[in-house]
Amino acid sequence: MNRREVLGALGAASASSLLWALGCGGRQDEAPRAPIAREDQVRAWLHDAVARLAAAGFAAPHALALTRRRTAAANDVLGAAVRRARADAVVLAVRDQDGALREQVTADVSADGVAAAVSALAAAAKPARVDFGRPIIAADGSPQPHDEELLAFADAIRTRDEALNSRIVYRAELVEIDDARVWSVAPGRDLEQRLVRVRQVATRVAWNGTRPIVAEVSRAWLGPAGSDELGKEAIEDATRGALALMTPAAFEDGEHAIVLAPSVVASIIDAAVPALLTTAAMRLPEVARRLELGAGAASAAITLVDDPTAGGNFDAYGGFHFDDEGEPASALMLVDRGHIVGRIADQAGVAAGRAPVAGRGRRPGHVGRVEPAASHLVLAPGTAAQTALRDDGFVLEGALGAVVDPASDRLVVSIARARELAHGNETGRVFGELELVANLGALLASVAAVSKETETFGFRDEVDGRPRWRSIAAPWLSARGTVRARRRPA
Amino acid sequence: MIDLKDLVRALDQRRVADWTVIQRDEELAVLDETAPRLRRAERRTRWQLTVHVDSADGRGSARVALDGSAEDAGDVVARAAALARASLGSAWQSAPPSAPARVRLTDDALASAEPLAAADGIVRGLKRPGRLAVTATVAVAREQVHAASRDGLRATWLAALARADVLVASAAHSLAITREVRQLADLDLDAALAAAPAELDAIAQASAPTPGPCTLVLATDALLHGGLGVWEAFAHQADAAVERAGLTRYRERMPIAPGADHVHEPLTIASDGALDYATRSAPLGDDGDAVRRFTLVERGIAVGLGLSPREAALRNRDPNGGVRNLVVAAGSWSGAAGDAGPDRVVEIRRLRALAIDPFTGDASLEIALGFAGGKPFTGGTVRLDLIDALARAHRSRTRIRRGAYDGPAAVWIEHAELIP
Repeated sequence: MNRREVLGALGAASASSLLWALGCGGRQDEAPRAPIAREDQVRAWLHDAVARLAAAGFAAPHALALTRRRTAAANDVLGAAVRRARADAVVLAVRDQDGALREQVTADVSADGVAAAVSALAAAAKPARVDFGRPIIAADGSPQPHDEELLAFADAIRTRDEALNSRIVYRAELVEIDDARVWSVAPGRDLEQRLVRVRQVATRVAWNGTRPIVAEVSRAWLGPAGSDELGKEAIEDATRGALALMTPAAFEDGEHAIVLAPSVVASIIDAAVPALLTTAAMRLPEVARRLELGAGAASAAITLVDDPTAGGNFDAYGGFHFDDEGEPASALMLVDRGHIVGRIADQAGVAAGRAPVAGRGRRPGHVGRVEPAASHLVLAPGTAAQTALRDDGFVLEGALGAVVDPASDRLVVSIARARELAHGNETGRVFGELELVANLGALLASVAAVSKETETFGFRDEVDGRPRWRSIAAPWLSARGTVRARRRPA
Repeated sequence: MIDLKDLVRALDQRRVADWTVIQRDEELAVLDETAPRLRRAERRTRWQLTVHVDSADGRGSARVALDGSAEDAGDVVARAAALARASLGSAWQSAPPSAPARVRLTDDALASAEPLAAADGIVRGLKRPGRLAVTATVAVAREQVHAASRDGLRATWLAALARADVLVASAAHSLAITREVRQLADLDLDAALAAAPAELDAIAQASAPTPGPCTLVLATDALLHGGLGVWEAFAHQADAAVERAGLTRYRERMPIAPGADHVHEPLTIASDGALDYATRSAPLGDDGDAVRRFTLVERGIAVGLGLSPREAALRNRDPNGGVRNLVVAAGSWSGAAGDAGPDRVVEIRRLRALAIDPFTGDASLEIALGFAGGKPFTGGTVRLDLIDALARAHRSRTRIRRGAYDGPAAVWIEHAELIP
């Protein structure tokens, strides 16, 4: 079997990035290409575009350009491979006399290509005089590693794993770099940033009875690729997760005391924030009515912030220096000790009166349609050690996906494993293929303690072939919730 | 910037066993009524390059996607060949080319109008129910596709796709309507919008579900949640690579479930990628293979698999373009809830979420709107073994054609259980 077959047959859907990296995946909307001849020309083209759009009478002209290089090195049981790709685009956005937004997008990042995009919006006009202000450039000097270096990074993940054994039927390691340079030009604003997003992933597959168990661990950040953020302990936890032998007895469905591992907490946050805490979600009357600013939504132990600056370090995978509408990055409190105090908003959401401040207008791949989207969400840690959260009940580990229904607040989280606890100790019984079912508000209200330890996760998905990046730092939580088996009795 | 000729020339010069190039010249438009209203236009060209290389250790394949800015065809082809060499698997031979399927992929309106104008027309044509807020987002994509392969196949076609996402909201509740079509006549938004006030009233009056055993009616929107809905279970089972690994529920020439061939109206499902205007139709597959209609399940017996060129070669069969639109045989059930037995009947109109285990066909259906005893409820879950349940289900004689589906508008499933 080749890799495509192996991964497909094992149902390793989460390894899509591996398929991509190894060149045997499905849809790929990115492009290998030579770099633009002179990237310093891009700013001049954008200045000219904005000046012409302003002269044509459009309000709020904005030009955004992107050059993005994606590099991935993967190493698996069948060998190693490197893949490089590049995507470029220019987005011109204006507001017409009726207040409507108009956008013209081209993949032709050249003087002629940008000029043609301007012409599609406006008849030829002499450029207006526009003051763009002083250019602000957020440089990132991270080097672009050679293929050999990238493969060495991927191989280093494998060599850190001493828990590998012959029961692992498939293993893979991936190092993936999205290196984007973004220009954002508007009257009074001339911005440029380089964002080097790095993700390291280890995937392990073992058989358990008649079906494969896939376990994956990843770390993601902004900055140099060579870091060993994905440490030995985390990798070996993934290997042990795939190898864990499940207790054959049926799981007793019902409400239990539970400890949610950070991956489960992050999965819930990743589903809940877009569904409930954005200006787009506020279009739903069910959400608008229930989640007004100031409403109580969780236990006082819960404080949630979206901080693209990562405390000023600018090292979070989902972070940025300015959003895709040109708003500078700043932290935004969403939930303060259980009360909703903010919303993820783009400029349209603010104009519609759904939030007081913008700053989260993000385009998939920096060029898709603007949507209000979180950057780097941080659930504030508590003071207790995570081991102190354990009593009787279950530790839920390995989130396989979460769904939040914005209309009803119903939450369903697919869980890979539940480890049984008695008096704070693991009994050795491990149950697989479960789901946590709850009213989200009730679950969050039941949170009794938050650990001081946190883990950070990077998320990357695609809309129309264009990536969305975000990250979440999450602690362990103790709560109560209904846990039940996902599979029907045999 | 490269073009199709550059790629073909570069591929001809490189000694690879086989190749296919597909070029898509795309025009994309979005019209979003959400305030402030958005009009967005985009143009791009994409290529998909499939390369096979042979060696003593077998055949390697790579599929590479490029956008319109790629500059050196030789470099692109060299990289694709290198990727193919890194993915060596079993040896196999490409099949001789077959004629592309003859299928219509756009109507005159979508073929001739500017995509933004077409989107405008769709929005203007919405019959908005009174007293409700209706917000539409319409995307129209039109593409001219050119395909070329090593053995001389050349094909060109025009395709279009319109997608409408409509949010209908009262003061307290909302529901979403989504349609994806290749001809405007299939959009069928009028009926959905006309039904929206009653559905929103039902949601407003809905109570919590009463758990327990029931007979289940899956109405159209629930049946086709997210596209193919519950029928997607059969697409997973027809994946030839998964079947060869022994990971499917059933094998070819076997009943899909015990006794599935002896029920009153055994289930028949076909994949038809040559169905006019269906959303998964195409003349050729991604690997340049001709798309064909084939039967997946015939009167309860598994009889066919989606076969890529490689899977077909390994089985000494013809490729068929893989599983595409599903055509399900209708049944004789009238669609009336009183037709089948004395059990409590629960009719599910809308789902919040549908999760299907691709290996087993086990599914969780999260209910957004259901009716029990004529009274609306919301919430609750139904857990089904979809392969077994659909093999035995009563299928309505009324058919519906939507997106990639052509089949019964509703099904009736006995011995289900509603859980809180």
